[in-house]
Amino acid sequence: MTAASARQTGEDPFILKVENLSKRFGPTLALRDVSLGIRRGTIHGLLGENGAGKSTLVGLISGQREPSGGTIYLDGRPIENVDVKAMEKAGVFLVTQEPMIIDHLSAAENLMLGIWPSRRGFVNWRKLRADAARMLEGTGIDPQAMAGRLDAVARRKLNILRAMFSGGKVIILDEPTAALTVADRAQLFDFMRQLKAQGVTFIFISHYNDEILEICDACSVLRDGALAGGTEDVASLSSAQLSELVLGRGLVLFQRERRAFAESAPAIRLRDIASDRIAVPELVLHPGEIVGFTGLPGAGAKELARAIFGLSPIRSGSIAFAGEPARPLPATPRDAFDMGIAFLSDDRRRDGLVAGMTIGENISLSSLSAVARSGFLRPEAEQALAARYFKAMGIKATGPATVADTLSGGNQQKVCLGRVLATEPRLLILDEPTRGIDIGVKQDVLRIIDELSRSGVSVIIVSTDTDEIVRAVDRVCVFDNGSVREEIFGDAISSERLRRTAGDKAGA
Amino acid sequence: MLGWVLHNVVWIWLIALVVIFGLFNEFFFTTFNLQNIMVQATVLGMIGLAVALPLLVAEIDLSLPANLGFSSAIGALAYSDLGLPWVLAMLVGVAVATLIGFFNGLCITKLRMVSLIQTLSMMIILQGALLALTQGRTITNLPDGYVWIGQAAIGGWPVMPVIFILALIAVAVLLRNTVLGRSIYAVGGNPVASNSAGVRVDRVKIIAFTIAGFLAGVGGFLLASWQMAITSNQGSSYLLYAIAAPIIGGVSVFGGRGNVVGVLGGVLLLTVIQVGLAIISVPSFYVGMIGGLMIFIAVAIDAFRVRYFG
Repeated sequence: MTAASARQTGEDPFILKVENLSKRFGPTLALRDVSLGIRRGTIHGLLGENGAGKSTLVGLISGQREPSGGTIYLDGRPIENVDVKAMEKAGVFLVTQEPMIIDHLSAAENLMLGIWPSRRGFVNWRKLRADAARMLEGTGIDPQAMAGRLDAVARRKLNILRAMFSGGKVIILDEPTAALTVADRAQLFDFMRQLKAQGVTFIFISHYNDEILEICDACSVLRDGALAGGTEDVASLSSAQLSELVLGRGLVLFQRERRAFAESAPAIRLRDIASDRIAVPELVLHPGEIVGFTGLPGAGAKELARAIFGLSPIRSGSIAFAGEPARPLPATPRDAFDMGIAFLSDDRRRDGLVAGMTIGENISLSSLSAVARSGFLRPEAEQALAARYFKAMGIKATGPATVADTLSGGNQQKVCLGRVLATEPRLLILDEPTRGIDIGVKQDVLRIIDELSRSGVSVIIVSTDTDEIVRAVDRVCVFDNGSVREEIFGDAISSERLRRTAGDKAGA
Repeated sequence: MLGWVLHNVVWIWLIALVVIFGLFNEFFFTTFNLQNIMVQATVLGMIGLAVALPLLVAEIDLSLPANLGFSSAIGALAYSDLGLPWVLAMLVGVAVATLIGFFNGLCITKLRMVSLIQTLSMMIILQGALLALTQGRTITNLPDGYVWIGQAAIGGWPVMPVIFILALIAVAVLLRNTVLGRSIYAVGGNPVASNSAGVRVDRVKIIAFTIAGFLAGVGGFLLASWQMAITSNQGSSYLLYAIAAPIIGGVSVFGGRGNVVGVLGGVLLLTVIQVGLAIISVPSFYVGMIGGLMIFIAVAIDAFRVRYFG
């Protein structure tokens, strides 16, 4: 049902409305007097920096948390006793950032998880398969496929479908494009448009302006727990205006001054790197050069980065720093650090932080031998190191003794970055360094990397974020089928060019 | 305030029980009984410390109490059957215990065996091996030198607890002040991230298991020396208490959390419960049940603390 027809029938044009919604956590007011309306059958964007109150608002709307004040209306009726059950019954579903998928069950079983058609406690398998097959028609997902084998887009689609099948009318998507490539994202957006045409309403949370501008009809921006602004007509907004709403000030987006290195002597020469998934005969890095690795998942960008750091097994491969003989690539991360190679993983929760340890302990974790004498830690040396990188990274916390678990995503990423920089690497490899962190912190991170490169460190950034690649690197290596298909230098690097390159492959 | 109380619940619970037992029977407060508790706590303490190390790296070693019994029997047999001097024989026993710990570590890291099951099978093997070695008999022909430390007293105070105190200090220094200790916490807290951060995860785990084996070996020597005997199921009765002690003291079964002071608290608490129930003459039929209930309460309070106060 469209907004127009709803008005004609006298129904409330807003399927979901909140009035003066507030949420207090102890002494802090996480959400203040937020009022907004979501129109039936639209995609409504929700923007804001980390900690702006997006998750709190979504948590209240989906019933996971109880509001401290204010009212939620569905179809014009106020909801009393807001909890998950009540909201799901009313048709509001939250699809979280991490897809809720059980890998060893089939797509069909995942789709019906918890809503199995059953009689007297026995699952009606025939009906389950039939229902699932009908739901999955036209999505390109095989109902019998093991969920663990599905790609990222298929997994998201599965979650969205499950919400719909459970009776979802308003589906909240919390950063659904995290970990998706450009091509996947386009596919997901098409899927959302299809469902929208069927009358589903979406609330779409994203960090990226271009996504909001591309897919949303309306949007609301949160800042410091309050509504900072919004529009019923996204088309009337520019990306710059959106950024300004998010940050509340004129944000200067970082842009590296690209340098040309063709003439200079190389700092690092990688040779004959081969594994089951990659084959790279030669790759040269110059001192102070930032190289972007991009490509579809599985094309080899991430795989090569991990292989150089000793995180995935290889058949052959050597590295030679300028003025040094070639050596085999490191077999373990420890060997890599000892050679002067540092790596920052894209998954900081799983692969970056030790959440229970303090910021300082995390920062020193990769350089413990540098702050120890014959196996015993020197507290002064360790604290000095921690304090230095705590300051240099601009981590927002009381001090290095704060437990890392309590930090926001962006600050956790700064801690991880501080840890790898503390090893004083000669080659720094960053895998999706700004994924899932807000636009303000993203500029900080890109600036830190830029400054580091000026001291002569060579940097590899693996990224599927074209905007980041365009702003941060001197050269782009486009990966395909395990090797570098194309190199783009200097001013030739642009969003259009990168999109086209990715599109070539997707279309092929 | 409530948070502080819950964070120190082991010690508060310990003091409360001491007072309660003392009120029931003032013999509990005597120097003799205090000495008795210290001696009793020594063996449990050694094995509790040992169990804590694999727990800290998010693994578990169930074979430690069996290792304790088996290795002490090896030591005793090295003296009686091979004719080694008792010191050397004792060291052979400790070395065997250490090697078993090392072997467990290898199985868990290099062969990727699940520690719960691997060490369970090792426990059964070692218990069986002890029975086979002793043929069901109790070894009692231990030399005077061997049993000295278990019996010696200086100025009326037993010497044996000194070993436990030294071990406590050594492990505390290891965990707090060394690269290895920091690595142990990191590996237990997040093994994947630790690997990416350049910590040699497998090596750290193997070392943790090896040190645990060593501590169990020393504990085995102390138990045999104190009891002046090695039974055919020596050490087995310690299994559940040895695992309960560090967990009551705040060592997380998920790894990465806990410290030596907590282990000491857990060990003392369990010892006080055992000794206290005996002293206030609770009929032996009820001792197990009441002791279990007290441990249950301690663990429940700790779960409550973790849930509401982190």
